[in-house]
Amino acid sequence: MRTSLAGYLLGETGKSIWRNKLSSLLSCGTTALALFLLGVAFIINLNLGFMFQVVQKQMEIQVYLDKELSEDAYAEIYEAVKAMPGVAEVKYVSKADALEELKEMFRDKASVLEGLGEDNPLPASVRVNMVEAAMIPETVAAIEQIPGVDDVEYQAEAASRLASLGRVSQAVSLGGMAVVGLVAIMVISNSIRLTVDAKRHEIAIMKLVGATDELIVGPFILTGIVLGVLGGVFGASLAIGLYSWVVSTIQELLPFVPILNLTVETAVDMLIVMLSTGVVVGVLGSTISLRRYLRV
Amino acid sequence: MIRMKDVSKVYDAGVLALDRVNLEIRKGEFVFVVGPSGAGKSTLIKLLYRQEVPTEGQVVVAGNDLGTMRRREIPYFRRKIGVVFQDFKLLYDRTVAENIAFALIVTGAAGRDVIRRVMQMISVVGLKGRQNAYPNQLSGGEQQRVAIARALIRNPEILLADEPTGNLDPKTSLEIFRLIERANIYGTTVVVATHARHIVDSMRKRVIEIKSGSVVRDDRRGAYDR
Ligand SMILES: Nc1ncnc2c1ncn2[C@@H]1O[C@H](COP(=O)(O)OP(=O)(O)OP(=O)(O)O)[C@@H](O)[C@H]1O
Ligand SMILES: [Mg+2]
Repeated sequence: MRTSLAGYLLGETGKSIWRNKLSSLLSCGTTALALFLLGVAFIINLNLGFMFQVVQKQMEIQVYLDKELSEDAYAEIYEAVKAMPGVAEVKYVSKADALEELKEMFRDKASVLEGLGEDNPLPASVRVNMVEAAMIPETVAAIEQIPGVDDVEYQAEAASRLASLGRVSQAVSLGGMAVVGLVAIMVISNSIRLTVDAKRHEIAIMKLVGATDELIVGPFILTGIVLGVLGGVFGASLAIGLYSWVVSTIQELLPFVPILNLTVETAVDMLIVMLSTGVVVGVLGSTISLRRYLRV
Repeated sequence: MIRMKDVSKVYDAGVLALDRVNLEIRKGEFVFVVGPSGAGKSTLIKLLYRQEVPTEGQVVVAGNDLGTMRRREIPYFRRKIGVVFQDFKLLYDRTVAENIAFALIVTGAAGRDVIRRVMQMISVVGLKGRQNAYPNQLSGGEQQRVAIARALIRNPEILLADEPTGNLDPKTSLEIFRLIERANIYGTTVVVATHARHIVDSMRKRVIEIKSGSVVRDDRRGAYDR
């Protein structure tokens, strides 16, 4: 016979989960799905930060020069750019250099370049590295004003595209999480309500013999928490597992795409965030179904 | 121990169940509450353990004014009161010992001596050896003994019983009343609502008769009928 209060609480919690296996499973499942989406948002967030770092490091402004100008004019532009504030490094790439690079890149596929013949269609360019990424838009604007500059390209554009893509996917996964999270709360609440109904008689006796409200609702809240945490464990495992698979696949197939390896620390952080969310979902779910009862 | 002052109870449906009842029950008394069906006996009992609140008047039990008592104080008040019903109100998925221990465990009185106290109470109510039986393996009389054991395990100041022998044969009823009387001898104040005419007549205790919500008789050593 269990005679301790803790034994009573745990025993009742276990029983109530076991007796409602199906709705417990459903509760865990929806919570897991909600938390899985939270995990996805979390991972996207991590990767965005990481990609920004990578992109910023590689950020280079490509200044394409008018094809009609002379080498002297090119040199003048080169000097003008070099004199700009915040410029760390400037490299001049002549038309010939550019062709050389292209040939290098397509070394195995020489046929691609055969059509080019003697004509070199590539423009000469100047490549600029900045001390600080934040100065890029300003510098780009200034460079565009220099006569003889045909076009300016920089990866910050890619970065901002990346950012908006990230924001959208994050919003989608967070929105999905919110919706599925609400469903999870409702499903848990329903599951607990079933248990409360099944235990009306027992609750009446508890009140009769002088059990406090806290003790009466304790097992129900605990049931909600356990369901939420179990859901969290499944959701987190799913998210972490899937992510590891994605990382290894990407690193194999698209090795140049920057993607963050999930370290143990981040996995632990993620687990903490997800499990606490699971607890919150569980507590909300159970309190909703107990609220009416609590007021009696 | 118990005082009712001008107590009226009107249920939601507009039924006047008790009509300006005044009574006083002192510590250690044994009181029968009798009266025809629908007279208000159960209502009176329910007011005493604060299952219901009076519509008017004052109910004071074991030093607590139940009309003004706060919600969170109710559990602590209930621990001073044992209640027994006609339908036993046992938990059918728990053994005899677990049913009795339940009252201790869920009030946080758990401890090493729970098992000792429960076993002792089991022998007091005459169920020695049946501690591991489930309620549906017991007779009605035995089930009521379990309910009484549960009501008494916390040594309550007051034992309330609402038709405790309503489902039992006369011989078993007598045994149950002997048990309740025993608790009274040890100092517990007892209030029993009952239709058990022969027992009321044989025990010669204080009898309060209610009719249509009013106290119509209060005899020191009374009988079921006037
Ligand atoms: N919850 C309730 N809501 C409305 N009316 C009620 C309620 N409980 C009792 N009543 C009414 O109050 C009156 C007194 O009922 P009560 O149960 O106190 O009678 P009683 O003396 O215990 O009767 P019995 O001997 O049949 O148990 C009855 O008319 C009954 O219908
Ligand atoms: Mg009644």
